[in-house]
Amino acid sequence: MNLKQSMLIAIALSLLSLVAWEYYWRTQGKLPDIDDNKDLWAVQRAKVETLSENGVILMGSSRVLFDIQLNEWEKETGIKPIQLASAGASPLPIFHDIVNNTDFNGTIVVGVTPGLFFSTTYPQAGPWKRAQSRVEHYENRTYAQRFNHSLSMPLQKNLVFISTSEEGWSDDIDLKSLLYSVSYGEERMDEPPFPPFFKFEYMDENRNNRMSDKTANDTAFARTVKNVWKSIVEGNDRPPQKEETMTFFTEDAKKFRARGGNLILLRCPSTGMFKDIESKHLARSDFWEELVKATEAKAYHYADYEQFKNLDCPEWSHLSGPDASFFTTELVKIMKADGALTKTKTN
Amino acid sequence: MLFNSLSFVVFLVIVLALYYSKILKWTGKKSMLLLASYVFYGLWNPPLVILLWISTVVDWTAGNKLAIEDNQSKRKFWLLLSMFVNLGFLAFFKYGNFLLENFTMVMNALGLAYEPKPMDIILPMGISFYTFQTMSYTIDMYHKKIKPARTFLDFALYVTFFPQLVAGPIVRAKDLITQFYEEKKASTQQFIWGTFLLTVGLFQKVVLADTMLADVSDQVFGSAEILHSLDAWTGTLAFSGQIFFDFAGYSTCAIGIALMLGIILPDNFRYPYASIGFSDLWKRWHISLSTWLRDYLYIPLGGNRNGITRMYVALMLTMLLGGLWHGAAWTFVIWGALHGMYLIVERLLKTKINIKVNAFNGILLAFLTYTLVNFTWVFFRAREFSTAKNMISSMLFMNPEGSKILHGFDIIRVLTLIGILFICHWCMRNTSMKDLSQKISPLLLGVIWAIMFFLIAISQGSGEQFIYFQF
Repeated sequence: MNLKQSMLIAIALSLLSLVAWEYYWRTQGKLPDIDDNKDLWAVQRAKVETLSENGVILMGSSRVLFDIQLNEWEKETGIKPIQLASAGASPLPIFHDIVNNTDFNGTIVVGVTPGLFFSTTYPQAGPWKRAQSRVEHYENRTYAQRFNHSLSMPLQKNLVFISTSEEGWSDDIDLKSLLYSVSYGEERMDEPPFPPFFKFEYMDENRNNRMSDKTANDTAFARTVKNVWKSIVEGNDRPPQKEETMTFFTEDAKKFRARGGNLILLRCPSTGMFKDIESKHLARSDFWEELVKATEAKAYHYADYEQFKNLDCPEWSHLSGPDASFFTTELVKIMKADGALTKTKTN
Repeated sequence: MLFNSLSFVVFLVIVLALYYSKILKWTGKKSMLLLASYVFYGLWNPPLVILLWISTVVDWTAGNKLAIEDNQSKRKFWLLLSMFVNLGFLAFFKYGNFLLENFTMVMNALGLAYEPKPMDIILPMGISFYTFQTMSYTIDMYHKKIKPARTFLDFALYVTFFPQLVAGPIVRAKDLITQFYEEKKASTQQFIWGTFLLTVGLFQKVVLADTMLADVSDQVFGSAEILHSLDAWTGTLAFSGQIFFDFAGYSTCAIGIALMLGIILPDNFRYPYASIGFSDLWKRWHISLSTWLRDYLYIPLGGNRNGITRMYVALMLTMLLGGLWHGAAWTFVIWGALHGMYLIVERLLKTKINIKVNAFNGILLAFLTYTLVNFTWVFFRAREFSTAKNMISSMLFMNPEGSKILHGFDIIRVLTLIGILFICHWCMRNTSMKDLSQKISPLLLGVIWAIMFFLIAISQGSGEQFIYFQF
């Protein structure tokens, strides 16, 4: 047995095959990408511990994640906000964590996506669990996990084949996802399979998230995302828990404001199916207005501003990259003009 | 720290660089290994290193006293002290919540309203492994089977040696401490073979267990529905493969890493799914635990020295406690009881029927054994008895209208992989990977090695924890 020879062959073939694999996926249009996983979120959450009164935290669901561009915010205010929004999640557990487990008394912008914000306070429900699991990961993460995450960042930034996702996108290229993408035998299942959900954004290490150009410009691709939204909406037969969510949030909001915190509520644009559903089942007057009244927070609804009224969401829920930049810039200007960002040392 | 993580790659490179550098003498290298082992453990939860220290100090002291003490009652005291501390840790950290739950249940059944607050006790990783390992030292010292460790450093390293600290193999003192007495250095062949074993272990864990099987098993055992037979069987078979690849993968990594340092660890698995009967199974599955239970539980309970009935009682008790060792839940006890029952029935049958095993009936008997093993895995994996009951009834084809939750391709994938696993175990049952590797060409071995490495690299994932860490 010549192990040395075997090892040399193994090293050479491994390197060759990985280079070929990387090259293949790049030719298919894949780019190195950072996964919005719980470790990345925890790194941002950790920054809150040392954040001064001038700091800004963004939270909410994916609309805040897509629609608020951190660089634009920084350009306008001189301060880079900490992005804690979590896609598909209720902001309530994260707001609760910041209010009850930190002394932060700067500015918090809470995105209100009605279907998620007012959805639930039940710990096992998806929108709650998705947010709470990140809070718990921050509290319980081990030093080994922190170290692993730090080591993975340069790899994620530079290699396509290393990319994977906590979300489990249909176009992920790790081995498990590739196996999942085989559709043979789908008809066997009693329940129809969930429509394919392709990644439609890019994220950087500060959790600045931007819709991909493909989503903004390719209507066929944007339709695949719309199909997912339809499937989620049709599968959701739970009514909103308005009273419970309002009471939970208002209590934390009062606590935060009592210690000098600056709370801002934000309603980002939606179009198409989402706009229809939100108007019909989560009417502004019944939900948004009541929340604003109960919390006595500063509040910004996109529909109140002429410059935002005609913004289009390519897949009904989020703004394209350029529109998100515009939205952020204009929004900050409006907030500054209102004196809503008094806590931040603006340029 | 997990073997299947980037931090471990960095950790191992640093440890190997220091181990093979000339700046440290042997004692310095052992101290470095000890410190590295504490870092390896502490990066998960630093305060719990204190438990390791306590266990180390108590058993080191007890061992030294037992080496010089002739007074029987004093000897017994030191033995009991060691057992009290180690089993006390286990009882509190591993079984505390379980005991409280059962106590509450009994109180409520007696009509007494008692609702204690949950204790929220964190389970220290690998506690079942290192407590059993240190106890074996003290028990062997008590029986004067071994000599005391020469230095505290040797003993502390025996308790904490990072490759096998959190999930075994549970190594006896005579097999490991003595290796620390003289300077160890892997030969080139040993080092490369160790690297190959590390690759094989990671391939088993990352690719086969986590990527190919875990999701199907999780989906089936996580389902609240009553399942179709094919789904129930696929889920159970997937779990049987997952737990084997997960645990054998860890052991193979541990053996490989130790070999890279020139330290030999014993085999922990020998192709268990090709076992013919359950006595054979326990000589092939988690060997270091089954021999531990045999030597320190079954034999002290009387073994086969006090007649057949007492032997069966000892056997059943050993398997029940073996089940409980795996987890603080009644489902694990049932898993142990089933294995105890299988062993007893097998022994009874052997007194009546004498089968001469050949290649043809051998594979059928192995298949029968494997099928019966799968029924035990249901109790091992199910979190609730109701889940286990539904699964068993589906596996016995009692729910023809059961839900079909698995994708056709998932079923094909799992059944193919498990079929290959079974055939490989059968073909390898009387040989070893080392023997096989010597028979094939270096080119083929290199290609197989590269394929495994490539698949590990494109699987990566989130570095899921080894199942046995929780035991």
